[in-house]
Amino acid sequence: MQAEVRTQMSRMWRVALLSGLALAAAPAHAFIAYVSNEKSNTVTVIDTDSWTVTKTIKVGQRPRGIDFTRDGKFVMVAVGDDDTIQMIDAKTQTVVDSLPSGPDPELFAQDAAGKILYVANENDNTVTVIDLEKRSRLGDIQVGVEPEGMTISPDGKTLINTSETTNMAHFIDTSSRQIVANVLVDARPRFAEFKHDASELWVSSEIGGTVSVIDPKKHEIIGKVTFEIPGLRKEAIQPVGIGMTKDDKTAFVALGPANRIAVVDVASRKVTKYLLVGQRVWHMAFTPDEKYLLTTNGVSNDVSVIDVAAQKVIKTIQVGELPWGIAIAP
Amino acid sequence: MKGLAMAVVALALSGTAARAADPRYPNWPCTQAKVPEISLAAVWAGPALDDAETKWKNDAKITALVAKLSARKTPIDEAERSVKEFLAASSADKTNNAKLLFAGLFDTLNAQRSQVMNGLERVSRKQREAADKIREEAIQLQALQGATPRDEARVEALGNELIWKTRIFEDRNKVVRFVCEVPTTIDQRLFALGRVIQQEME
Repeated sequence: MQAEVRTQMSRMWRVALLSGLALAAAPAHAFIAYVSNEKSNTVTVIDTDSWTVTKTIKVGQRPRGIDFTRDGKFVMVAVGDDDTIQMIDAKTQTVVDSLPSGPDPELFAQDAAGKILYVANENDNTVTVIDLEKRSRLGDIQVGVEPEGMTISPDGKTLINTSETTNMAHFIDTSSRQIVANVLVDARPRFAEFKHDASELWVSSEIGGTVSVIDPKKHEIIGKVTFEIPGLRKEAIQPVGIGMTKDDKTAFVALGPANRIAVVDVASRKVTKYLLVGQRVWHMAFTPDEKYLLTTNGVSNDVSVIDVAAQKVIKTIQVGELPWGIAIAP
Repeated sequence: MKGLAMAVVALALSGTAARAADPRYPNWPCTQAKVPEISLAAVWAGPALDDAETKWKNDAKITALVAKLSARKTPIDEAERSVKEFLAASSADKTNNAKLLFAGLFDTLNAQRSQVMNGLERVSRKQREAADKIREEAIQLQALQGATPRDEARVEALGNELIWKTRIFEDRNKVVRFVCEVPTTIDQRLFALGRVIQQEME
């Protein structure tokens, strides 16, 4: 009897504690997501508490790559056809400034401190280096034909740039701004993502239909993630965006016109589940608490919300035409 | 008039050269890639449809609902609502009804899509013939214009005819560009309705 009372008490305590925690965590749950709509030349603002669109911001032509500055004050969006990167003030949600990129900027990456921005310019085979504080151009790095994917190693020393035409991941030393290694991957590499512990670099190949796992020290391919969906032709499986949980255990890979996100066990590099999201799923972003993963679906013009723990799609939100990139306030 | 003839030739030539990006489908006039059929797996991650693929046609309620949901005039929001209402009211038969409904939509919308695509290719073939004709007549007109003595009446008649034909050609091209969007809107409808059905089944 005594024991039973005690367990009941402790259960009550636990419930009280949990609900208290939940209450404390509730305000942090409301994040703001920004989605670039390539065709409608807008950025859609989504409130992650109500999962509704709260604003649509008119931006330049062909917005694609999008990210927050590290201080969370601005959203940068690459507007390729206007040959610039626009800055949206996160408070007023209006375009307030622009950054000097090269022609047709598509995607960019910033260093851990948020001081330097590297921009892939699709049209002139260069990566532009920008000082984010001064908002001025520091220089250019010559890379392969048509630079695409961009990411920086967790220590900030290596910039990875993938090229659509050479089918390589170029390793660039950020201090000397020289290419130090090239790794050949499958056809049309699109996106690159480091594990948080920097032990592996994952590169998706849109046409090759694979994700190459690279040892970033030895510059060697050490494994490949492959995808198979019964009833779907191989050509319809086009890996693009990659997202990895902070514990480096689970990766999510967007499969383009397969309309699915693959859930991958990072250790075994095997797909454990496919989630039907929206048509031509492209990029994704986690909420900072990692409870949700939001994906942009280019043809169905919507954003899918995935419950990360349950690995289930819980919501669909209509946005502008051809949603491409997504960024969530830190 | 000579200027017009040259312009017409240029137009007719550019009109044909801009097409046929995919060698498998020489008559496909759209910039959007031709995907002849939507595969089931691209839009459906639910349970196997099995005999629902044929049986949906025998169910009067299902066929009526499929017809309504497939019609382009039914706004997509309204269609999604109808799906939810129908499945909510099916209680014990929910899974079965969901499979029948999706099987019907998949068949019907795929057929609708094929029809539109066949139509586009038919128009595209006709446009190519029209372009050839315009080119021929433009050459004839040039010859007439250069002849001595010049038959003004014939130059005028042929010139006018060419203006007409070019106009029709251009108008049709505009319509084609517009209709090229239709297969995609059908894809979107099938996917959106399929997604609602799958969510309701969970």
